[in-house]
Amino acid sequence: MALLQTWSRFKSWALGPTGLKTTHAWGPISNAGLPLSGIADITKPPENISENMTAAMCLYSLLFMRFAWRVQPRNYLLFGVHVSNELIQAYHLQRILGGYDFYAGRHASQEQATPKAAPTVPA
Amino acid sequence: MGDANTPRPPSNGAVAAASTSRLRQFINSPAGPKTIFFWAPAMKWALVIAGLRDINRPVERVSTAQNVALAATGAIWARWSFQIVPKNYSLATVNVFVCATGLYHLARKAKAYMATRSA
Repeated sequence: MALLQTWSRFKSWALGPTGLKTTHAWGPISNAGLPLSGIADITKPPENISENMTAAMCLYSLLFMRFAWRVQPRNYLLFGVHVSNELIQAYHLQRILGGYDFYAGRHASQEQATPKAAPTVPA
Repeated sequence: MGDANTPRPPSNGAVAAASTSRLRQFINSPAGPKTIFFWAPAMKWALVIAGLRDINRPVERVSTAQNVALAATGAIWARWSFQIVPKNYSLATVNVFVCATGLYHLARKAKAYMATRSA
């Protein structure tokens, strides 16, 4: 019964003026590729992530969180997409700056702190 | 003297007060530079600038997933900017450039991949 109610509520949103037939929903849905690509990049070493783009994304998502909140009608989907993008891009940015890398299980700066041993030349 | 009855053009002060300059109207408009509705789409250019600064980045260190996402979102938003009412040309422009820089980085990666395959 609750499932039917949930379904009918979803249907009335999806067919309504801010639903799946409108740009109000598809704009944010297309922007959802950004946090998803950020999540896909979690396994990459921080050198392979663009610090320029990550910093730009952090600023961009902050501004669009406020935009989505203040636009009429309020766009919760866009807000949610940019909240998640801000979180994942901030994680990548702190990794690039030497912070903690959950995938590698250590601080990203530790890799640079221990230089590889130089091959010894026989005397 | 018929000065009191002859219609006179309004003085400079009245003209200035009656018609605010177009610049002032723009600055105070509901989507103008005092609001987030102006600056948030304007800041999307930061993504374009970041993509351009990455031109000199070695190809192996460029993220495929992120550029696919940027190209897709840029293309969709560019199309939607022409379909909404009123058409938003500045939003369309910035999204065309977001898509273009994403596709450029993907083309670089594709070229490098083809080069390693044929080698």
